[in-house]
Amino acid sequence: MTGKRLRIIAVMAVSLIFLLAWAFPILWSVLNSLKTDQDVLAYPPKLLFAPTLDAYRDVLFGSSSILPNLVSSMIISVGTTIITMVMAVPAAYALARLRFRGKKAAGFYVLVTQMLPPVGIIIPYFMILRNIGWIDTYQGIILIYLSFSLPFAIWLLVSYFEDIPFEMEEAAYLDGASRMKTLWRIIIPQVRGGIAVTVVFVFLNAWNEFLFAVVLSGNTVRPVTVAMFNFVSVEQTLWTKLAAVSVLAMLPVIILGVVAQKHIVKGLTVGAVKGGGRR
Amino acid sequence: MVYEPTRRTLLRSGAAIAALSSAPALIGRALAQDADLAPYKAAKIDWQQFKGEQITVAVIPASYFENLITLAPQFKELTGIDVRFEKIPPAQIRQKSVIDLTSKTGTYATHAADPMYFALYAANKWVEPLDTYLADKSLTDADWFKLDDVIPAWRSADSVGGKLYGMPYDGEVTIQVYRKDLFAAKGLKPAETLEQYMSNAAALNAPSDRVWGAALRGVAGAGQNMYIYPSIFREFGGDWMKGGKLTVNGPEAEAALAWYVDLMRKYAPTAAANWNWPDIADAFSQGTVASYIDAHSSASVINNPDKSKVIGKVAYARWPTGPGGKRTTSIWNWGFPINAALPDKKKKATWLFIQWAASAETQARTAHRFAGPAKRSGVNRSSIWRDPDYVKLMNGFGDNFVEATMQSLEQDTDVDWRPRVPQWPAIGDTMATAIQAALSGQATVKAALDDAQKRIEPMMRG
Repeated sequence: MTGKRLRIIAVMAVSLIFLLAWAFPILWSVLNSLKTDQDVLAYPPKLLFAPTLDAYRDVLFGSSSILPNLVSSMIISVGTTIITMVMAVPAAYALARLRFRGKKAAGFYVLVTQMLPPVGIIIPYFMILRNIGWIDTYQGIILIYLSFSLPFAIWLLVSYFEDIPFEMEEAAYLDGASRMKTLWRIIIPQVRGGIAVTVVFVFLNAWNEFLFAVVLSGNTVRPVTVAMFNFVSVEQTLWTKLAAVSVLAMLPVIILGVVAQKHIVKGLTVGAVKGGGRR
Repeated sequence: MVYEPTRRTLLRSGAAIAALSSAPALIGRALAQDADLAPYKAAKIDWQQFKGEQITVAVIPASYFENLITLAPQFKELTGIDVRFEKIPPAQIRQKSVIDLTSKTGTYATHAADPMYFALYAANKWVEPLDTYLADKSLTDADWFKLDDVIPAWRSADSVGGKLYGMPYDGEVTIQVYRKDLFAAKGLKPAETLEQYMSNAAALNAPSDRVWGAALRGVAGAGQNMYIYPSIFREFGGDWMKGGKLTVNGPEAEAALAWYVDLMRKYAPTAAANWNWPDIADAFSQGTVASYIDAHSSASVINNPDKSKVIGKVAYARWPTGPGGKRTTSIWNWGFPINAALPDKKKKATWLFIQWAASAETQARTAHRFAGPAKRSGVNRSSIWRDPDYVKLMNGFGDNFVEATMQSLEQDTDVDWRPRVPQWPAIGDTMATAIQAALSGQATVKAALDDAQKRIEPMMRG
């Protein structure tokens, strides 16, 4: 009994250390975002201080507001995610289920596109977009983002589709369902967890992307990752504003994560309870 | 690099106003923006000759460019040329402009350029020499523009083979910044020699009271530790192109890096090995660093009434001399080149923009005569540095500020203080990594420099 309790305590302690290491930078950003420029430099660091929302007011409604950048990021990330999922779900299903010529090659090719280091293709991308006049446009950036989010999503989803027992599909066919209907009604609900995970990752990658964004964007379309950099100016680092922008930029991802969490957990437990795929 | 209070801080009453008025020179007079075009029309050129052209200009987010952007409607009115500004962070503006120049897309008619990149730009003919534009009487009124008035050190930094490729818009020079109260308490004077700088730092170093003797930029970067180290290297008698071959591991280099490492390890806060200039200025403004050598423009940060605790206690001096008796300051400026991929008319329109931005009138209107709170400390004109109004404003930063800045700019600069070769971007990075390895103790001074030499040699052969 005591041995078990000791073990629990040890596990808790280790978890706490990890939790702290994970939570500290975030908590610190939140604290700094609520400080004044003076408090943020104070030593010893102030844990008790009069919180102010000035930094938030400045970055949201001040002269260099990041609201348009948050909107840009949202359009790019949501656009990328929707298009990716609409194309990746059928593609992954096909790769997992259908038998067709060149399937292996196609599957491998999808992976190959992920092997190029992004820096190596940034100049060609720039020139292509420039030539078709898509620099600094939403369609341009989303198109480029699709080039890495689609292969990633397909590969992630294939493994989820492969886990579903073929018998389930057969049962649907016997009841007279078409392939599309089966996919929509039977398969997709089963891989809900996988889809939720993929959505989160695709969204996250698009939301946090910086390298392509900085080169391919301009004044019209400028995601928040690029705009944030302007608070580390050559003149001074605007710590409180930088912290406030970081917190604001984290919010959509956190919200998405919380919403998706429900589906991820459910997706996993549904399979477990019914024993589907794990017989 | 001028302190820019936000609307909020200006509106805040009581304490803030008291704090602001303690540094009256920083605020200046509340002027209405001067929009009279007559001073420009005095130039004997047709400003309207490229009416209707559109150009895009890439700048970095900084108050000195913000002020210029504020005045852009005046340029439009004067010339009929549309200027679209794009603000790009400093690290990325190099990448983006190089991509634009290599691909010859002509996206940016001009951009705020790193002077160390002009060798690369010129070698590839990506940008045009400005002398043809300066000599063309239909494009430039030489008597009005007064090229000679533009700080010579910055002009040489933007020249390759004697030809000017970028027109300096705003710049800086590194100087010694020190706490006169701490120095007085110990009976110290600002260092005349590097040796004295070390001994001053030793005398002032009191980590138990949270005061460190000195700080220099330590963080790795071609514009960070490789901005400060070259000055030390040159003061120790170093020569980058010894016998025509780029050499970074000679005995002078070893002595210079050893001095840098010694100072940083013994008398700087441990974290300074990872600090850039804003971090040094932040630390100094909190009273934890007794002296540093860095950009004169950092004066605005350490005089920012919103966060500085050392206002009124700051004074300035030139770089200390090295063992050879020479002073070598680090200089910087953002210069405007003309993109060679543009059609002819756009090039000329771009030149009109550059001429306007670099003119004495625009420099004054974006500096002491600017209606907003941000006053530039990096104006490109010697004449403005002698203008009593401007001098008065600048001297608000502390004792000897204007003198130290001007003497450094006029006497202590050395245009070859960093190796000006087309391979600079890669060389700068390699050296920065080597310096950091030595500062952090990962490698001995000798090993770090030998390794850098080994990496640099193949680059120079290419």
